Amino acid sequence: MTTNRTQAVLYESEAALRLVDHELNELHDVEQPDTPAPVLITGGVDGLNEVAAVLHRANSQIIAVLARIREGRAAIESTAVGRVKMTQDKLREVTSATEDAAINIMDACDRATTLVDELDSIDANETADRAKAAELRGSLRDELFLMMGALQFQDITSQQLAHASSVLDEMEARMLAVAKLFDPSISLAVPLTEAVTDNAASSFDANATMRDSDCRQALADEIFTAAKGQAA
Amino acid sequence: MKFLVVDDSATMRRIVVNSLQRIGYNETVEAADGVEALAKFDQSICFIITDWNMPNMSGTELAKAIRARADGQSVPVLMVTARSVRDDILVAMEAGVNNYIVKPFTPAVLKEKIDALLPAAA
Repeated sequence: MTTNRTQAVLYESEAALRLVDHELNELHDVEQPDTPAPVLITGGVDGLNEVAAVLHRANSQIIAVLARIREGRAAIESTAVGRVKMTQDKLREVTSATEDAAINIMDACDRATTLVDELDSIDANETADRAKAAELRGSLRDELFLMMGALQFQDITSQQLAHASSVLDEMEARMLAVAKLFDPSISLAVPLTEAVTDNAASSFDANATMRDSDCRQALADEIFTAAKGQAA
Repeated sequence: MKFLVVDDSATMRRIVVNSLQRIGYNETVEAADGVEALAKFDQSICFIITDWNMPNMSGTELAKAIRARADGQSVPVLMVTARSVRDDILVAMEAGVNNYIVKPFTPAVLKEKIDALLPAAA
């Protein structure tokens, strides 16, 4: 390997490593000691020993950068793992909520069908019990109304899914930032997910849930009752 | 008595309107966000039922805007929302909301809250 070629390889390697190190500093927010200025080897290389020293220094710097990359990955992992787990829990809750709603609606349909059968049998009777029929129609309306109420799951689950989507957007942005460290020209031809705008972000509650509505309503009642008591 | 029902979810608007009809209130006006609700609010509106999380203008922002109007000082505002932590409930109260229903709700709870605010509506 010629002296000029060695110099060129070393200079390019150090420049690339300093760029990567700078980007990792910005990603990790950890202050780093000043990196040494690149050393240009001028004049003649005194034998293979100096070449070995140059390569050894480059190797040390590469090891240091790899360590920084691992730190950056750990930083992303520590924040992403929690968010991803929470998102998984939300998605499981969506599955559970839709299943519960489907069962409630089917149960109401079964009861409504029974009521219709009873109305048919009353109608088939020559001496129709009109009072009984009116009672059955009232019960039938109740069951149909229950089905309507069960559909509230759609609003809650849509908010849960919107939250999950926003987490995916965040993960996508972080991974793209890391990928750009190695190739600044990288970009996604098509975004993995449609970016959540600020307006859309205000349309969902990250904590929306179908669970424990009685307890949550009781808290709201307690607060408003206390406020009215103070105002009185 | 005319109700203004505000929610960005068409499903929820329909459920609330259906619940109101169930308890005898058949006159309703619907809006998909606070901006639309503010545009539709007038003296014929006797009661507002609003969601919190909506695009363009939230339910709490709508409540504040209604209270800032001379003709909006005494109209009852009932919030129906998935938000249910203490701080959120206090924010809603400070915005001028008269009472609070947590989603998912039952028609019985809706009737109870409306009945409690009716003297104010009258």
